[in-house]
This record gives sequence, C-alpha cells and structure tokens, in this order.
Amino acid sequence: MLVPFQWLKEFIDITDHAQEVARRLTMAGLEVDALVKHMDGDIVMEVNVTPNRPDCLSIIGIARELSAIYKIPYRFPEHSVAASAGELGLNVDILDTNLCHRYAGRVIRGLKVEARRTPEWMQNRLQRCGIRSINNVVDATNYVLLELGHPLHAFDLQRLKGSNIRVGTPEGIKGQWAMASIETLDGVEREISGDDLLIWDAEDPVAIAGVMGGLDTEVNNSTVDIFIESAHFHPPSIRRTSKRLGLKTESSYRFERGTDIKMLKKALDRATFLIREMAGGVICGKVDIYPKNYRPAEIEVRCEKINKLLGLALSSQEIVSCLKGLGFEIKDAPDKLSDRLIIKTPAYRRDVEREADVIEEVARIYGYDKISASLPMATLSIDKQKEGDKRRSVKDEISGSLLKSGFTEAINYSFMGIQDIDLLGIGADDSRRAGLIQIMNPLRVEDSFMKTTIIPSLIKNLVHNVLHGSRELRLFEISKVFIGNGSSRLPEEREHVAAIYYKERVKSLYRDDTDDFYIVKGVAEAVFNNLKIYDYSFRRSSEAYLHPGRSADIFIGNDKIGYLGAISPAVLGSLNIKRHKASPVVVEIDIESVISSITEEIKYKPMPRFPCIERDTAIVVDSSLESSMVIKWLKLYPSELIEDVYIFDLYYGKNIPEGKKGIAFNVRYRASDRTLRDDEIDELHSLLVDYVIGKTGGELRQ
Amino acid sequence: MTKDLKRVFLEELRSVKSMTDLSHLRVKYLGRKGIITLELRSLSSISPADRPAAGKKITSIKQFIEAEFAVVESILKREELQRELQANCIDVTLSGKFVPFGRQHPISRMLSEITDIFVTMGFGIEEGPEVESDYYNFESLNIPKDHPARDMQDTFYINDDMVLRTHTSPVQVRVMEKARPPLMIIVPGKVYRRDADITHTPMFHQIEGLMVDRGITFSNLKGVLEAFLYHLFGPDTPVRFRPSFFPFTEPSAEVDIGCILCGGDGCNVCKGSGWVEILGAGMVNPVVFENVGYDTEEFSGFAFGMGVERIAMLKYSIDDIRLFFENDIRFLRQF
Ligand SMILES: [Zn+2]
Repeated sequence: MLVPFQWLKEFIDITDHAQEVARRLTMAGLEVDALVKHMDGDIVMEVNVTPNRPDCLSIIGIARELSAIYKIPYRFPEHSVAASAGELGLNVDILDTNLCHRYAGRVIRGLKVEARRTPEWMQNRLQRCGIRSINNVVDATNYVLLELGHPLHAFDLQRLKGSNIRVGTPEGIKGQWAMASIETLDGVEREISGDDLLIWDAEDPVAIAGVMGGLDTEVNNSTVDIFIESAHFHPPSIRRTSKRLGLKTESSYRFERGTDIKMLKKALDRATFLIREMAGGVICGKVDIYPKNYRPAEIEVRCEKINKLLGLALSSQEIVSCLKGLGFEIKDAPDKLSDRLIIKTPAYRRDVEREADVIEEVARIYGYDKISASLPMATLSIDKQKEGDKRRSVKDEISGSLLKSGFTEAINYSFMGIQDIDLLGIGADDSRRAGLIQIMNPLRVEDSFMKTTIIPSLIKNLVHNVLHGSRELRLFEISKVFIGNGSSRLPEEREHVAAIYYKERVKSLYRDDTDDFYIVKGVAEAVFNNLKIYDYSFRRSSEAYLHPGRSADIFIGNDKIGYLGAISPAVLGSLNIKRHKASPVVVEIDIESVISSITEEIKYKPMPRFPCIERDTAIVVDSSLESSMVIKWLKLYPSELIEDVYIFDLYYGKNIPEGKKGIAFNVRYRASDRTLRDDEIDELHSLLVDYVIGKTGGELRQ
Repeated sequence: MTKDLKRVFLEELRSVKSMTDLSHLRVKYLGRKGIITLELRSLSSISPADRPAAGKKITSIKQFIEAEFAVVESILKREELQRELQANCIDVTLSGKFVPFGRQHPISRMLSEITDIFVTMGFGIEEGPEVESDYYNFESLNIPKDHPARDMQDTFYINDDMVLRTHTSPVQVRVMEKARPPLMIIVPGKVYRRDADITHTPMFHQIEGLMVDRGITFSNLKGVLEAFLYHLFGPDTPVRFRPSFFPFTEPSAEVDIGCILCGGDGCNVCKGSGWVEILGAGMVNPVVFENVGYDTEEFSGFAFGMGVERIAMLKYSIDDIRLFFENDIRFLRQF
C-alpha cells in the first residue's frame, strides 16, 4: 500500500516527520518498507499490510491506525451529497444473499465524461499510488478506493439493458450447470464458472462482481448517465473467482481480504460528491439493499488473562484506553467488580474475533518494546530421547566419517526429472521409477519429481565442477528420498547418504595407485565401522548405470541397503566429461536401514593376555573366484584359536597359469588361556590350508 | 718396553679410520695371537718372583688399550651414524603428500550452530515429513482454503490435498498431537516455496521452535529469543520485536536485529532501515491448541521460525542465495 504523506495529513494532524511516523507504524505492525521522496517534497510511504488487515488498505485506514497510536483524532473527507432530484429508474435485486451482503448505488444523469478533465492534484495522487488516470468518472471511483479503501464500479446506465441490475451466479440465474462468458474491461473474453458471482442486467452479465467490470457497459467519453455501484461481497467467493480467472485487481485484492460494510455508503457518497464536482450532472435517486444488518460479535476479554499471557501488569483503564483508541466499543461488564470486559469491534476489524486477537491489539498499541524480556521457569521433564536427537547423532557420525575421508558436503534441491531416471537406466518396476512423486506445478519440467535417488544431483555437481577446472572431487550429500505408494497417503521419506569420487590421473610426486573403487569402498566400510556395524558385506551389483565389473551391492545381514561402483562408460559418454578422464565412483546408502542396525550397547572385552602366532600362506585359485570366498572359508573353519584373517596380496601373471590368480593370506592364532606352541599351530594351519584348498578348488602355491 | 708398546699402540690407533680398521687393530693386540695375549701367555716363562709385577704391568696395559678402544669405538659409531643420516637426507622443501579434507556445507554448519544453542537451553530435536498434507501444512495452522494468508507462501502441489511443506510449522501440530506439555522442541528441516531469484530458491531450510507449558508468556518469548540472538550474533546486537501476522500465532511478532553489515546506518541489505528481519514468532494461537486438544486455559506457549539461508547470508556476507545449491567446490571450500 502506497501512502502519500500529504494526503494522509488531510485526515490527521500529525506533527512528526515522515521518518518518525514510519517508525511508529512499523512498531505497531504496519511495516514501512521504504520512503520515497518526490520532487514537490511529498513523501510516499510503502506500507507492507499483512493479509489480516484489509482495513489498512486505504489512506483513511492508515490515519485511523495512527490515531490509535498517537491517541489523537482523525477525520473523514467531505462527502455530503445534496438530496436526490429524481427517481432511480432502475430495478435492483440480490439473488444470492450469501455472496452479496449489501448492494447500494446511485444514478447520476447528464454528466460530462472527459479523459483529460481530472484535476492535476488528483491525477498526481493516483499516479503516486500506482493507478493510471482514465477519465474523470473512473478516476473519482479509483480515488475513493485509495482514500477510503472501498472499491466502487461505475456503469454506463444507458447500456444496462432493461433498467435492471441483478446480483447472482450463472447457476442462480440460469439454472444448474449453467456457465457464462463476459468480455472484461481489459478486452479479454472470459469463461465464468457456474458459482462465480456476477452482476447482470436484464439479459447478460455486465461485471464480474468485485473483480472487474464488463467492456460493454464501460464508462467512456460517450457516456452521459451512470450507475455507481458500492457493494459488499463474500470474501472467499471473490478470492475463488479471482484465482480461477488468474485476474487480480485493486478491487479483488480488497474484497477478498474483506471490506467495511459500513464504509460502503460513505464511499458511495464521497464518489458522488467528487463526480458532481468534476463532471457535473444531476443526482437521481439511490438504492441500498441490506438484507441482514451487520452485528459485530461481542468478545469477552479478561484483563487478568491479557496480563498473564503478555507478562504485564496493566490496569483495566490502560487496557480500555488502548482498545477505545482503536475504535472498539467497550460494554459494561456484567459484573462491575470482575475484570471482564465485553468488547464490540468495528465493522472494519473483522480479523478480531477472539480474546487472543484482542490481546494482540493491546500488546501492539502498548508497544512490544515495552514488554520486558524474561526467561521462562522451565518444567523439568525426563523425556525419553527424542527420535530426532538419535537421527541427528547418526547423521552426524556418518557425515563425520565422510568429512574425515576428504569428502565435502553438498546440498541439492529435492527435485529430479524423468531424464535423470532414464540416464541411470532405472527400470519400470524399480521403486525409484515406479514410486516417483510428481509435482503439479514445478518451476521447470526437469524438476517435476521428488528425488528417489541422490546420485543424479551429485553427477550434476561433478559435471559442473569438472567444467570449472576440478581434476579431483569428493562430494557427499545426506538427504531424503521420496517413494510414493500409489495411494493418497503421504509418500515414504527415507534419509539417504550418497557420495561421488572423481580423480584424474595427473603427474604427482607421490605414487598412489589404489583403484578408485577400493578407495570409496574403504570409506563406506569406515562409515559402518564408525557406527559399530560389522555384519556388512558386498556382492556383485546389477545396477544398470554402473560398470558391471566394478560395482557391488551393499548388504547388512541379508538386507540390501545400498550400492557402490564406478559409473559405466556408457553413461559417462552422455555426460559432459571427456572419456579419457577418470570414471567417477559413486555410493548410495539408505540411512534408515543403517539406523535400525545400530546396537547401542557397548560391552568391554578384555585385551588378550597371551601372545599370538601368525602364519602366511599363498594359494592359487580360479581367477573368477572372489576373495570374499577365501575369507569366508577361513572364518568358517571350526577352531577357536583363529583370531583374525586377512588377504594381503592378490596377483596374476608371472608363474601363475592363465585363468588363475594367486591369493596370499595371513592368519593370526591366539588362545585366551595359554601361550600357543609353534608345533601345534603348524599342524592346525596345515589342516586349515587343506580345508580352504578343498573348498575353493585351489592349490597351494609353492 | 711397555712405554714403547703404548706409544706404538697409540700411533696405530690414530690411523684407525673405520670400524674395520678398529677390529683389525683389536685382533692385533687382543686377539688370540695378539700382542697382549702373547705377552700374558709368556708370563709363565718368567720367574715366579717377577711374575706378579710383570703381570700387573701387562694387565694395566691391557686395560689401557681396552679403554682406548672403547673411546675410539664410540666415536666411530657416532661418525658412522652421522654418515648414514647424511646419506638419508631428503629435500624438506618439497610439498607434503596431499591429505584431502572435507568441508561441511555452510547451511549444515549454520543448522548445527543454531540447533546447538537451543539444545543447550534444553530443547529437543523433532522432524517431520517434507511432503505434507494440506491439513497439517495449512488447515491445522489456521490457514483455511480460500484465505488470503495462503498468498504469503507460494506452494508446490502434489495434488489437491498434498503439498511440499511451505514451512516447518506442521511439525508443531504433529508433535502436539502425540505429546502433552511441557514441550520444548526445535525442528530443523527443508521447506519449499515456488519462487526463484537471487534471494529465493524453491527449497530452503528453516528451524522451527515450540515451547508449551503452564504460564508461558510473551515476555518469555522475548527472553528466549533474545538469549538466542545474543548467542548467535554477539551480546551487543540490537534486537527489536514488532507486531506482525501469522495465522497460527496470536500475538505475532517479527524480530529484527541491527544490520550487521552497516551497523545500523542503512545499506542495501537492510534497505536503508538499519534493521534486518531474522525471525518470525508469536504466542501459539488458541485455535491451534484446540486443533490438538490442548486446554487453552491451562497451557500457553510460543513458537518461532527462521530461515537458515538468510542467517547464513548475513553471517558470511553472501549476496546470492543460489550459491548454496550450486555446490561449486570453490565456494564450499571456503567454509
Ligand atoms: Zn544495513
């Protein structure tokens, strides 16, 4: 709402300068966003009016508010109209009193409509408030809209067929399923739904009630007689119509927030007064259909409650003075001794409905800054740990592991597109495609769905960074994925963590030829170990977009909880990364499964008291045999003395037959109650080696 | 003879340059056929009367030689170690092997910093769904359909009854439906609004707070939020509360802090006012309490919410919110 300071001062005698007035308004809840100074010295205040305060969408509304703040009176502009000199000559009828609560109007005949007859001072004010001058009649109605906050509409009386005005919906006028169409002032032909409120003449719609008038009955240079409408419409109905048509006007903006049903008549008279001054003519009768008189709600307020909620100790006189300043009527309490007040709100403050609303009014006028700050007396509660606290600590552990491994955290939008799912080659039955949740009104078609996997965003981040010169990149993200269930229930939301690793082979002082796959796998293992999860395993993956020879599904127990692998060259080809460069390795893990695998209990195990004996052995097996099988059989061998096993070498080529590979492993033996003898371990170890060779079909390497 | 022997020995000892020389000399004097060994053995041919004196003499020479050997040996060992260390010398000015370091996203950092302050005060953390029903996101918070308050937040719709939550406030209702006061919770999380320019992104982060108990006042709301802001921005930060409107709080407030960029003199960031808005807050509207079945006569409470990106932009002087979601490593590394 734009408020020229000079105009405002016509209604209230303020001595403060604009800056101070702006500060006072801001501190009372009408935030002044800016002050714009004009050549002639006038200052326009840009007031940010919240949706609950339509009463402040006018110059008089701001003056009224200032009157409460400064505790000085305000006044209305001149609006006395000479008695009518004739008959109305028009039949007015409200067909739907639920949508139109009051309909008033006046007829002025024989006036002179002219485009450039509006006085300069009025044109200036309209312009400063963002409204274009059209002609003296329309300008007068717009001027009143700004001044008093009440939208008006002027019709060319001679173009209203049948001397008839009807207020109703297409269904109300023409029966069920009826629709209508009307060409509005902006020259657009609009289809109107059956339940939108319209103004009709004897035959056709002539205006969309509260939103915009029709072109046919527009007031222009050839107009001689006019009918000025001043009405009150049901706010939600105006909002529905305006939204449906995508048509937002100064008028609909005010009507959908709620106008002052009592101001309606003043606005009509003020406009009539101004039009007579500017365009001449004779006032010929008026109409005011007001089926159900507005009765303000009575609100019971307890002074004690006000003080208790605000943390104040105001006397009832102070409270009454705040409320009276706002134009609230205070009725005597039923019992004079009690601290109860019965309050009647003015018609322009329909936002004040309950005691809590009144409390806000008192606090606002008293001043938030005068309420002192104090810390609450807390009630101690020994609650069980909040679910969110536990999730947070698990997520912190996971991101801690990744940060320590050199991964930087990324945050991407939760959106994805069908092109991302296509790129990853995800099949129709996969929940990552089948469970996609579509957004009805996305900003871009590529962002039409909620993420079902984090990998596409990380790939995009990689491409962006490589294009900007990164030759090595480690990124991770923790974020939700959304899996729909095809029903109207909310989708399942699961927290995931994903990471991407990329390293070009560049000349370096220091050699490190570890395969990227194993670097990322090591990081994944660190994440689990850090959470004290040990029953994880890796099995060859069939993820379509990963390199089949360099990818694995991740399991905890028997549940698949993620996957890891190098992005397949086929997918890389369609990205903006040159083929000869390194291929990125990605990993994605479902955190929900991880959380449910965490056992909280920690039990101390004594450190071993006796020394261990280690043995190294190399065997030759088929090159297709995965090393996890060797570990598996070593661990399955029934002996309590085997403490740990690990593979320390894997080799092909020289001295190894075609199609075979060498695997060297280390076994550590220990007894908990004695020192082992070499000879007993020699014997046990050779039995173990025979066992593993038997199970794997390998042979001892000489 | 003894004098000669010592002199000759010392001369030979002086020419020893290495451990090998030393061991040769040791053999020459102390070996099985060494000079001293032979001398000792020849004692038997001396008359018993002279034997003790001669024995004593040769023993003292032997001790002398052994002592000399010990000294020279330790010197030689030290020299040898020095040579070895010299040979193992590397160029210490070459750069070390790179250890990659990861950085937390600035928004995560900010989220942790803010949550930690409230956790210290005794607030617990709660979460809720990001795809939310119209009821929880709007209706239960006193934002009916066809109400202009819906214009305050441009909404992404999944269907007529399902939206991407436009704020973290629905979690308030979800938590209150399940638990009885006293309640002290904060809700960090992602929220969505259909908006994109240099100060708006379609997704951003909010932290919501809620405290409900007997006798909670507006004065308490001021106390808790001032304590929080002093913690986050420093104890001398100017803070002001001014009336505003949120359908789910009554009275409602917006909280400003003195602009940290211009110190209150007025700049682009604060649009010349010297103040920047940092929080929305208010006393929980009794309508919301009624929706979750709390007795409005028994309990009162306050709620607040803040945009994390906005605070991070102020704290780190970032002028384009979109940088947070571009994930350019040159940006991320700075935090
Ligand atoms: Zn500033």
